[in-house]
Amino acid sequence: MAAINPEFGKELKNYGAFDFNACYNCGNCTAVCSLSTEEDSFPREMVRFSVLGLEDDIRSSLKPWLCYYCGECSTHCPQEANPGELMMSLRRWLTTEYDWTKLSGLLYRSLPLTIIGFIIAAIGVLIFSALEKFNLQSIMHKGHIFEIIAIAAVFGFILLPNIIRMWWLIILKPKIKVPVIKYLTGFGDLIVHMFTQKRSLGCDDNQLRWFEHFIIVIGYLGLLFTTVFLDWFSNDSLFVIVLGYAMSIIIFIVTIDFMSDRIKKQKEMSKFSQPSDWMFVVWLFLMGLTAFIVRLFIDTGLIEKNIWLYLFHLTILVQWALIIVPFGKWTHFLYRSFAMYFAKIKS
Amino acid sequence: MNKKIGVYICHCGGNISDYVDVEKVKESIETDEGVFLAKTTMFACGDANQKEMVDDIKKNELDGVVVASCSPKLHLLTFRAVTERAGLNKYNYVHANIREQASWAHSDDKPGATETAIHLVKAAIAKVRLAEPLYPFIINSKKAVAVIGGGIAGLRAAIELADMGCPVTIIEREHFVGGRVAQWDVLFTTNETGKEVVTKLYNEVIRHDNIKLLTGAEVISNTGSIGDFTMKIKVTPRYIKEKCNEGHLLKAIAVCPVDVPDEFNFNITGRKAIYHNFPSEYPQTPVIDIKNCTRCGECEKICPSVDFSQKEEILEINVGSVLMATGFDSYTPADGEFGYNQFENVITLPQFKRIIDLNDKKLIFRGKEINKIAYIYCVGSRQIDGENKYCSRYCCTSVIYAAMQAKHKFNEINNYHFNRGIRTYGKQEVLYAESLKGGDIYLQSYEDAPPTVEQHNDKITIRINDILTAKKEMSVEADLVVLVTGMVPRADNSVASLFKLPKGRDKFFNEIHMKLRPVETVIDGITICGACQGPKNIMESVNSALSAAIKSFSYVSKGELELEPIIAKIDKDLCTWSGTCAEACPFDAIKMVKDEKKDVAAINNSVCKGCGMCLPVCPSNAINLIAYSDNEIESMIDALAG
Repeated sequence: MAAINPEFGKELKNYGAFDFNACYNCGNCTAVCSLSTEEDSFPREMVRFSVLGLEDDIRSSLKPWLCYYCGECSTHCPQEANPGELMMSLRRWLTTEYDWTKLSGLLYRSLPLTIIGFIIAAIGVLIFSALEKFNLQSIMHKGHIFEIIAIAAVFGFILLPNIIRMWWLIILKPKIKVPVIKYLTGFGDLIVHMFTQKRSLGCDDNQLRWFEHFIIVIGYLGLLFTTVFLDWFSNDSLFVIVLGYAMSIIIFIVTIDFMSDRIKKQKEMSKFSQPSDWMFVVWLFLMGLTAFIVRLFIDTGLIEKNIWLYLFHLTILVQWALIIVPFGKWTHFLYRSFAMYFAKIKS
Repeated sequence: MNKKIGVYICHCGGNISDYVDVEKVKESIETDEGVFLAKTTMFACGDANQKEMVDDIKKNELDGVVVASCSPKLHLLTFRAVTERAGLNKYNYVHANIREQASWAHSDDKPGATETAIHLVKAAIAKVRLAEPLYPFIINSKKAVAVIGGGIAGLRAAIELADMGCPVTIIEREHFVGGRVAQWDVLFTTNETGKEVVTKLYNEVIRHDNIKLLTGAEVISNTGSIGDFTMKIKVTPRYIKEKCNEGHLLKAIAVCPVDVPDEFNFNITGRKAIYHNFPSEYPQTPVIDIKNCTRCGECEKICPSVDFSQKEEILEINVGSVLMATGFDSYTPADGEFGYNQFENVITLPQFKRIIDLNDKKLIFRGKEINKIAYIYCVGSRQIDGENKYCSRYCCTSVIYAAMQAKHKFNEINNYHFNRGIRTYGKQEVLYAESLKGGDIYLQSYEDAPPTVEQHNDKITIRINDILTAKKEMSVEADLVVLVTGMVPRADNSVASLFKLPKGRDKFFNEIHMKLRPVETVIDGITICGACQGPKNIMESVNSALSAAIKSFSYVSKGELELEPIIAKIDKDLCTWSGTCAEACPFDAIKMVKDEKKDVAAINNSVCKGCGMCLPVCPSNAINLIAYSDNEIESMIDALAG
């Protein structure tokens, strides 16, 4: 027996959803969706759950992650209830549900809090630089160490516990029995989906979107690898230097296209941008661009006189690593991959 | 019997001639007695043949015509018109159906089909030999219409009739006009209140010299028929003088010790024995409800306008047509139906609408503030087991609008609609969309698994297996349950039996043809409109009221009426008055009259429809049907059997 809770709808509107109440249950959205199947039918069911406020059912559902927001549902909705945007909002809501710190919820709901977080990070970088007496070598060295520690800490203390929470909500709490062997055999799927977003190829819209997404994942992971593990800024190997340039170029060029989509608002998925969407794409862009210029300045010997540039890059990096990665849109990348994994082992 | 008969045998393309040898038919009948000419034709109904028929009739001075073709349902009127155009009386035309009755019925037996066709045509010739020209009856029709019911349909119809120059008498059973609409507050789609709508109509009614408004009035008898209805009307007095002092009256109402349930508010409040439904209701003079008045005399002491000497009156009026607009009752749920009369906070939609109207700022019912409201749809309509199979049409729109009113007027209202599919048809659909966007929640079930209402410790819980959520079981705790009750016929519809008005299976008054003759009844001269005919919203009621007004006016506008001449005829010499004919007549057209020394039957020409029910039951064979006399029928049988 489920109790109806109309307040949930109001709560959901903090995450971007709007007008989904207008749904009169025709099911056109589900009929037109190229990813919806008989076993996993959406988005109408999710719209319905949201209207009725069936939080438990949404919390234990993987369906929001099965959608890749081609926007066909919103285009075909006769009531303009925007099921596509609702699915996006449910993903945002779910990330806050998985997050044990509950910080992501705060940041999604309040733009001022997010900005304060960003400012604190920037001030932190300044204080740290002052303590290092603005010595570039030492700042760069410790910046690199920070990267390694931040990755380990964010993953160990936030992301991993959150994935365990997700596992608990989706598999353990509903008491779904999964044989251990399935956890192992399904692992391949996790890796494939994480790197390729294979499922989104099933969307009927153009395949360029998938390709761009694929490229940016490669670029991002490539840059991460080059800077963190190969220490790009301090490495003299020509191969590593060129690789770093290539990866950072990929990032800032593709993100320019993403940003222009959000400005033009022609595609259904780019029509409604939340602050979290903007931050994700802008910070990714800035990260690619500043890394590129920093290395360029190093190669041209200008960096010594332009230490501010590295500090700016470091600020972007800190904000990205401590706010956007653990609490922002970055987590979608992780949860989506795990959603595919859980879907696979559940079946 | 000195007929010159023309016979036309139709091929109907090949529909007839593929199976019936039409040339052989022609040869078989052309030498029959009276047949002057016989022709075959490819399409008898075609323009060329019609023209040829007209020419033939004129040139040869034919006085009888037969066309052997399709069913008379299709073309009897066509060929009657042909004979009229040729200057011949249309009753000198006889139709033979050799398509449905010969070629189509016997397509496997061509010689047999031809034989049957020959007999059918011979029978038609036999009938036309005896045919006589007939002329319509002319009767006087009194130029006046009685409108029964002073609700929105009756008022609107009366104004229309009066505008056309027709004297009208409105007969309203209640002491106030406006009917159900007066009870509603704000109305969709115009956002006017029911009071405003009624006020507009009332102002027009009293402006008209042509309209006589009788309130507290009931028809108690009716005699006569179309063109000449004579009715007796009982008028109950108000027991209050007109032009009374408003201030005194209010005091008089205050001192009245009687407290009875107020039907105007669907019994959720009480009223005094001296009352008006709401200030400025029309007519504005209050009423003393004499049935509940204890005659304590308190009001008389305060208000000199109270006048117990007023007497009940019986009026007699004579009109040419009667327009019925007696309206509907709201369905009263059975005890225990969704908790009605079982749990305190279960009420009906009309009651809910009155509660919205009567409350201000906060929605209070039985002393408690109401926040969560559950609406259960289709109560008393679309019943599986019950009598009411129909959809009541107005309720979806009405309840959604009421729910929105409640939300706008009061704070923190949550609406839950337990429906069986929303039918806010036509322009009303925008309301449903608005309600959805406003956050009202809709849950749906099939008729075989309706929601359930339970009460535990003062809390009412409604459960449903919502088909919009894969039949998942849902529950809502509600402060108030509103049963969205539909329309049923008036509990007291006795006025209809005075006119012998037929009712449909749903017990509402029946029209002749739902699509083509929607406001006429089988009782000539009586039209129906509004919700007495079946569930309608205000717009539909007024539409039908206007058509009924025009139709009623068409009966009386000329002061006389032409009636079909094919009716029953009594042979007074043979008649010995057994009374069986009067019993058999479905239209009450036969009465006993004194004729010299004996009692005989007499036909009311304006009521008889020529159905022939009286013929076979007459023990002395004293009744003939004009145009279907024994002579004619027997000669046809001879031809068919020959």
